Amino acid sequence: MVALVGGIGLQTPHPKTEEPVTVVELTNMLMFMPETVRIRAGTTVEWRNTSLLVHTITADPDLATLAESVQLPEGAKSFNSGNLDAKATFRHTFDVPGTYVYFCIPHEGAMMRGTVIVEPIVQ
Amino acid sequence: MKSSNINRVARRSYSAGYLLAFLLLLLTAVPHVHAKQMDQEQTMAKLQKMTPARGYIDAHKNLEKPLGLLGGPVEVTITQTSGGVFVSLPDQRRLDPNVFGTPEMPRAFSGTPGVNGVPLMARGVEHSAYTVMKPLSPFGDKYTVMAEGKLSLKAVDATATDAAKTEDAVNMMASWKDQDGNTYEVRCCQMLAAHGMEFPTFGGVVTNHILHGFTRIGTALMPSEYAYFAFWGMGEVKKNGVVLDKPRLVHGMLTEYVRKEGYKLAFDDEVTPTRQHFHLMVAPFMPVMEEGRFTKKPVKTGFNLPNGMELPFWHVMFENLEIDSKRSE
Repeated sequence: MVALVGGIGLQTPHPKTEEPVTVVELTNMLMFMPETVRIRAGTTVEWRNTSLLVHTITADPDLATLAESVQLPEGAKSFNSGNLDAKATFRHTFDVPGTYVYFCIPHEGAMMRGTVIVEPIVQ
Repeated sequence: MKSSNINRVARRSYSAGYLLAFLLLLLTAVPHVHAKQMDQEQTMAKLQKMTPARGYIDAHKNLEKPLGLLGGPVEVTITQTSGGVFVSLPDQRRLDPNVFGTPEMPRAFSGTPGVNGVPLMARGVEHSAYTVMKPLSPFGDKYTVMAEGKLSLKAVDATATDAAKTEDAVNMMASWKDQDGNTYEVRCCQMLAAHGMEFPTFGGVVTNHILHGFTRIGTALMPSEYAYFAFWGMGEVKKNGVVLDKPRLVHGMLTEYVRKEGYKLAFDDEVTPTRQHFHLMVAPFMPVMEEGRFTKKPVKTGFNLPNGMELPFWHVMFENLEIDSKRSE
């Protein structure tokens, strides 16, 4: 479930699972929708390939050919979904607060990038 | 004379005068239109003769025993087994000043329009700069995505230069599906372009060479791009297993990535050298071999655009690729 405020997706808890889930769609327009999501630490993001194309969710500097394709907060581990066919999904849980920039390997040249802003859990 | 007669005569005179004027207009207009058409044909012939590669092709087109590639033949395999494809739709190409210059200093205007250069009269101008090529072409920013793109290509680059005979070979099958489940397919090559017409084709297959844009090898409407592999040959176009058009000029190439944000076709300084994609082109032109030029002929694709017109070309990009190559023994 995603709520959109000013182009930024704000995470809301998924009603049927214990862990909060934010959904991002991968499109034929070579965009992650929403492009930027803001979540709390410990939230899982689920990417759904609603396009006809193969996409990846990649936040690994070793797999990027453009420096601006990836950004990871200090202490965060890199991740990569591998190829996601149409209708496939991929999940990643964000524990380390900070700003993550990720990209799609086949469409890196077309600047297919997304951002996850992870805010610390307020005690 | 009664007034009604006067009116009748006046009307008759008016009608006769009108008819005479119309005939005079017609008689003067017909030669004018004819002359204009002749001018256009002559201009086209001049443009086609002026292609920069004309001398090179003349020196190579009758070569019976061309030399081989330095280091020996290269075998190339390219496949896509899953994922969709990008299908270009007719659009006006923005004109890159790196390639087309400026109105004061134009470049890349000779050759069959769209196949090689872009004549000056086809260019939009604004604020002393070129804007777009006015007619629609397969080389723009508009596209649609189609499902189940499959590509199977095996090729050999053996012959180095253009020639009368070639040792190069291509066996390619490409297909994709529209949203109604129709399958479109292109197969190539029953015959390779051993030599080019308006630009070199290197025996039909070329590896590791820069093409398009400023090079004038292929249309200048595509950006200057490094091609790891490219071919030109005659193939066939199918829909749901039925041949719709044959023979057709087919061109394919594996290049660095020439699309940018929004999948817009890049200018030369916007190319991403570190990513690759495969382009398949079935051009809306046919070669006129004996005259060394091209003539316009829409491809029977069997795919209708929203306005009801049949898409007159295939320009399809495959981007989920497995690539393999080696030197033959």
